[in-house]
Amino acid sequence: MKKTILIGGEAGKGSAVTSRFIGKIFCRLGYYVFNYRNYPSLIRGGHNFNVLEISENPVYSQGEKYDIILALDQKTIDLHQKNLKEEGFILGGADLQSAKLKAIDMEGIIKKLEGPRILENDVLIGWLFRYFGVEEKFLFQEAEKEFGDNSAIIQKAIKEGYGMAQETEKIKKNGDGNYLISGNEGISAGALSAGLDVYLAYPMTPATAVLHYLAKKEKEYNIIVSQLENEIAVANAALGASFTGAKVMVGTSGGGFALMTEAISLSGISELPLVVYLSQRTGPATGVPTYTAQGDLKFAVNAGHGEFPKVVVAPGDAQEAILRTEESFYLSAKYRIPVILMGDKHLGESDYTFKELKNSSLSKERFLLNNPPEDYRSYKITDSGVSPAAVPGQGPVVRATSYEHDEYGHTIEDAETTKKMNEKRIAKNKGIKKEVEKLNPVMLYGKGKNLIIGWGSTKGAIVDALPRLKDFRFLQISYIVPFPKDMVKEEIEKSDRVILVENNVTGLMGDIITEQTGLEIKEKILRYDGRPLTADYILKAVKK
Amino acid sequence: MEVKDFDTKEKNTWCPGCPNMGINQAVKLALAELVNENKIKTKDIAISAGIGCHAKIYDYINVSGFYGLHGRAIPVALGIKMGNPELTVLGFGGDGDTYAEGMAHFVHNCKHNANITMLVHNNQTFSLTTGQATPTSEKGFIGASTPSGKQEDPINPIALALASGATFVARSYALDPVHLKETIKRAIEHKGFSFVEILQPCIIFHNTIPYFKEHIYRLEGNDIQDFSKAFELSGEWDYSFNNDKRVSIGVFYEIKKSTFEDQWIRLGRPCYLMDRKLDWQKLAGEFK
Repeated sequence: MKKTILIGGEAGKGSAVTSRFIGKIFCRLGYYVFNYRNYPSLIRGGHNFNVLEISENPVYSQGEKYDIILALDQKTIDLHQKNLKEEGFILGGADLQSAKLKAIDMEGIIKKLEGPRILENDVLIGWLFRYFGVEEKFLFQEAEKEFGDNSAIIQKAIKEGYGMAQETEKIKKNGDGNYLISGNEGISAGALSAGLDVYLAYPMTPATAVLHYLAKKEKEYNIIVSQLENEIAVANAALGASFTGAKVMVGTSGGGFALMTEAISLSGISELPLVVYLSQRTGPATGVPTYTAQGDLKFAVNAGHGEFPKVVVAPGDAQEAILRTEESFYLSAKYRIPVILMGDKHLGESDYTFKELKNSSLSKERFLLNNPPEDYRSYKITDSGVSPAAVPGQGPVVRATSYEHDEYGHTIEDAETTKKMNEKRIAKNKGIKKEVEKLNPVMLYGKGKNLIIGWGSTKGAIVDALPRLKDFRFLQISYIVPFPKDMVKEEIEKSDRVILVENNVTGLMGDIITEQTGLEIKEKILRYDGRPLTADYILKAVKK
Repeated sequence: MEVKDFDTKEKNTWCPGCPNMGINQAVKLALAELVNENKIKTKDIAISAGIGCHAKIYDYINVSGFYGLHGRAIPVALGIKMGNPELTVLGFGGDGDTYAEGMAHFVHNCKHNANITMLVHNNQTFSLTTGQATPTSEKGFIGASTPSGKQEDPINPIALALASGATFVARSYALDPVHLKETIKRAIEHKGFSFVEILQPCIIFHNTIPYFKEHIYRLEGNDIQDFSKAFELSGEWDYSFNNDKRVSIGVFYEIKKSTFEDQWIRLGRPCYLMDRKLDWQKLAGEFK
């Protein structure tokens, strides 16, 4: 079984909630779902749609041709009917116009239910699952789980839709239930698993969902989640908290990240751990706020004035988001450096399905001295470049500073100490590199003498395209700083045809590969219209 | 504790005779007295500083501290308080630092009301960058970037702090160490965001000592819980030097309000002492 379902309607009319709910039901039945969200930057009106890819087998991206369209308005039909498969159909109210429409008397049902118009969504859900032969009782249970106190009226609406459809393509249970999780939820769960104490942010799409999720969990997990006046305050306050030994993360998109860069530099010299979640969207500047891109790669790699060690890591799906977030906290705390965790709208706001959800086995310790000596030196010079860390309140004087300093953290300007301290900080790179080598900085998928190279959220479309591509492997680069140059170089050199796949205009990863390995990748598949890559898009481009 | 216990061995690089020395002494005296009165602990003091002449104080006080970026002493102080609410947190800022680069933080932290003390060294000029106008420089101020004189009237930080909801608003004078020490002590003891503006003449680029000598007076008997009166009083002096207006020092306003930290049920414990054991299956189960 493989289906692609589109759900569309005006903003605020429920298409996102419906899509996720349908996805969850399929997951519960053991199916794999990928849920893609597409919405403009407005609150009411406009046109939002979701594409649900449903399959018996793992799936990580959305298709371009639809089996079923669930239409909450005429616009959905007008915009998407052209991509309806020949044998596909549209489900919607009797007021809609289409030759492919299976019409439901929505007006009548809503009147009968004496409920709000938004119940249309649930009527469609009832109809859809009767069509797939799913038990009504099961749907009611799921509705109760999902909507709690509101579920009574929702169940009634589901019943109405259910009663109007006929079982046509009965689906079987496909094993035990699966997990459905978005990239942003993965980042949040990873942070909690890593021992997050403080999350600070200023709202910015597409990172906002992390702020919302963690704020909701504030009491349950005894964490601090706070929205401050701007991203500058966010990043500097985060370092203040980090100074006291708290595990902190901040989250934003490109514009907010621009404001945070002064603090990334500060994290570098003050040697205070900081995890920055950068969820990219289409730029430059305001760009296309609710759409996706991978345009900030070099900005992240180069973020912060001056030279200091940092890590840049980019998960490729929601499970990786969990693990990479935990790795970010680990590396940041152990080496006392800023770590930039890069995602984008497509990773953050899409839902992925997994059989299992794993967290990392890395140490979650704070890497603090238990009993710092009285003559404590915050910036003690060591071979590894890492100074054993203490925090204020433990006893001795602990210092952190943006100014160049001696081992005690006192201000200096002399040449010798300036040189020594630069060398001390940069010395950390050696340990970081070794550590990252153990964290799967690159992953290889498939077999073949040709190679596709990608990073971040394009993984889903590439992995889904791979079985349909002849003789191709896929190299996913997850750590960008430190760059796994030997592994990347080796894979490129042993391949016949090498294609770079990125969601940006100029192929930024290609530039980094050239800078790091001296190899140039000439063939590029680049998408920069704000939309994510799909398997079909890649297949078409590869075959050209 | 004595003042000298808070001294460091660092070379003092303020100009000879700089009134910042007075602030340095008054802060240490205030801290020593509070420690001796068992109100605070030395090991639990943490300071933050911005960038500018004021910030050199980071090197001269022997307590834990964070020498941050220009304008950011306040968010750093707030972060320190979030991470460890047991700490006694003092922020140091300059006038350019706090009211130009860091203005948003100042206004919002007056509202946040975290239990921190913010001491602003106001010399009404950027001095470390060799004498440019700041938001509190008087109209007509001649500096390297305003050779024909600053065009605007200065802002009034006391009025601004009041309007922004600060719960403790005071002004003192770097050359009145006794008054300054007492004011700082009161500010630290106040539970909430305590703002103390310290008039700190710059003897190189903006020597206002003669004016202050003649016009400063201590507030006495003013009703510090009456917002309207405090606001009216804040307008008495407009930060200029040619109108022969009196300059009041003392507490303008002090009220009790819930603090930023009160929002969190568990705060009261430093984060670094939290032993976090997460039930992964429970968390993951949410997504099933």
